[in-house]
Amino acid sequence: MSLEIKDVEKLYKIVSTDTVIHALNGIDISLPAGKTLGIVGESGCGKSTLARLVTGLETPNRGGITWKGSPIHDVNKGSFSTKKSVVQLVFQDPYSSLNPRQRIGDAISEIITVHNLVAKNMVETRVSELLSLVGLADDLKNRYPHQLSGGQRQRVSIARALAAEPNLLVLDEPVSALDVSVRAEVMNLLLDLRAKLGLTYIFISHDLAMIRYISDLVAVMYLGKIVEFGSWEQVINDPQHPYTQALIQAMPDHTVIGNPESLAKTLEGEVPDPVNLPTGCAFHLRCVKATPACAVAAQTLREISSNHLVACMEA
Amino acid sequence: MTQSSLLSVKDLGISTVQDPRTLVNQVSFDIGLGEAVGVVGESGSGKTLSALSILGLLPRGVEVVSGSVTFKDKNLLTLDTEELRNIRGNEIAMIYQDPMTALNPVMKLGKQLLEVIASHGGINDGSQNQVRVLLLEVGIPDVNRAMESYPHEFSGGMRQRIMIAMALLLSPQLLIADEPTTALDVTIQQQILALVSEARKKRNMSMLWITHDLGVVANLVDRLNVMYAGRIVESGTVEEIFRKPKHPYTAGLLSSLPTSTGTNRERLTSISGVPEKPWLVGNSCGFAARCSRAQARCHSEIPLTVTTDSSSVACFFPLGGN
Repeated sequence: MSLEIKDVEKLYKIVSTDTVIHALNGIDISLPAGKTLGIVGESGCGKSTLARLVTGLETPNRGGITWKGSPIHDVNKGSFSTKKSVVQLVFQDPYSSLNPRQRIGDAISEIITVHNLVAKNMVETRVSELLSLVGLADDLKNRYPHQLSGGQRQRVSIARALAAEPNLLVLDEPVSALDVSVRAEVMNLLLDLRAKLGLTYIFISHDLAMIRYISDLVAVMYLGKIVEFGSWEQVINDPQHPYTQALIQAMPDHTVIGNPESLAKTLEGEVPDPVNLPTGCAFHLRCVKATPACAVAAQTLREISSNHLVACMEA
Repeated sequence: MTQSSLLSVKDLGISTVQDPRTLVNQVSFDIGLGEAVGVVGESGSGKTLSALSILGLLPRGVEVVSGSVTFKDKNLLTLDTEELRNIRGNEIAMIYQDPMTALNPVMKLGKQLLEVIASHGGINDGSQNQVRVLLLEVGIPDVNRAMESYPHEFSGGMRQRIMIAMALLLSPQLLIADEPTTALDVTIQQQILALVSEARKKRNMSMLWITHDLGVVANLVDRLNVMYAGRIVESGTVEEIFRKPKHPYTAGLLSSLPTSTGTNRERLTSISGVPEKPWLVGNSCGFAARCSRAQARCHSEIPLTVTTDSSSVACFFPLGGN
């Protein structure tokens, strides 16, 4: 195992109302090196909070995150003085994650020089290498972000993340902001990079089709907890938690057409307020299979078949 | 304009005012009574501008340079501001991607919705009730409390429901929707699609639905127009577009979507390159540079739109032959 997330809890205090948001409520994940973990769930389920913790941008209130045995935070703190960082993050919006007044070449070389990764006279060569790695022409170096298309910008963001030579790449909705025809190219690029560089990915998305496409393992999150975990075949082809089943049903499916009735079969309601968590199973308010017992007893993950974990008593 | 059509757009051209650049070129389509039409295209394909021009809502610096938009025998493009105001909301309503652009952040919801009725001259004793009934229909849980709340107190999905209620308030005959579900979760998106589909059927309302996501419209609309670089490159029934796409761009779009069957790790079919800017297309097919079927002719001539029965395609070498 390489990435170990152990019993992680993250709370945010709202000072003005003196309340607490329960963003993550006890997350346990083991991810082997070289594998891709897909994380799926609606907005407000804690997906991005988890990404921020894994990359060391924030610290958990409880529990710990380690990479090959050493805590992420120390690993990342050391990253400026030592040679490289272990984890890098790619954001959703390539329009806001690049400095509009910095040329593409400078945006990439900055990372290399800050981390002191190659000799000064080799920086230029390394930038060219990275650009070609993500499939961009070398002359893009002298351009500004506004001169690039959305897909090109996201490639630059990926190149910047790779510049620090990470082992683990956390991709937070990396293709959601892109046009459909460009999305496929970026997804293919991610596949190629994973194979070429032996990267480990955490791929966060609300789009199950993309999760299905790239993941080895899938975690389904609801209100700061993992409700189902397993291989992509187990979770997506044989979902056991009613929430996972509802998410799969809500996927826009272009193979079913001209059937308005298919729209009606959908999950009702919205994700509850993370300030006042529901009692028992957090999903029971929206669940079609809920029994009175679900409102009382909190559910923990249990193994229903080999390495397939589900937090539901009805599963 | 056919007998039964409610709205007929003919040879619409839109261009920037200064340093004229073509943004939309020779766009023509009809929407029948009670019919739902989808427009699919990527950013910059001209889908939103075409829709905005129907209601005279084009942003500053962009203008209609040719064509007509006929709604019930009136050319909307030649109406003055007052006449257009009477049509907006009353006969044609629009919902947007971001509900906050349509809602006043500092006005309570009840007052805001009543204002819609008042500004179109029809407020009476029943108006309060009319608003309540509609909020209930779009699925707002506690209507009394909602009427006394401000827009920021609602979630994104709820705001979108409120905007739909606002659009339906004056019983329009045509609803124009500009990607209203793009910013929402798939589950909430599905709820909104079901809601709109139901409301439309109940009222026999016509609809124009703009999206970049083919999956969204597959079960929502009757006909589809596919736009690329400012032009409609293919149109047909949902069945025709999804099952037998003729334009290589439509076919490429469809095959770049991951399917819900099969294994993962298969490479997705992608369309290489980036969409061409409509004003740079000139005398060629806008898709030629990215098209695997393109020949010399595609780079020097604009393909005419060929119509057969219910479908049309603008391509010299369509899939399945001419």
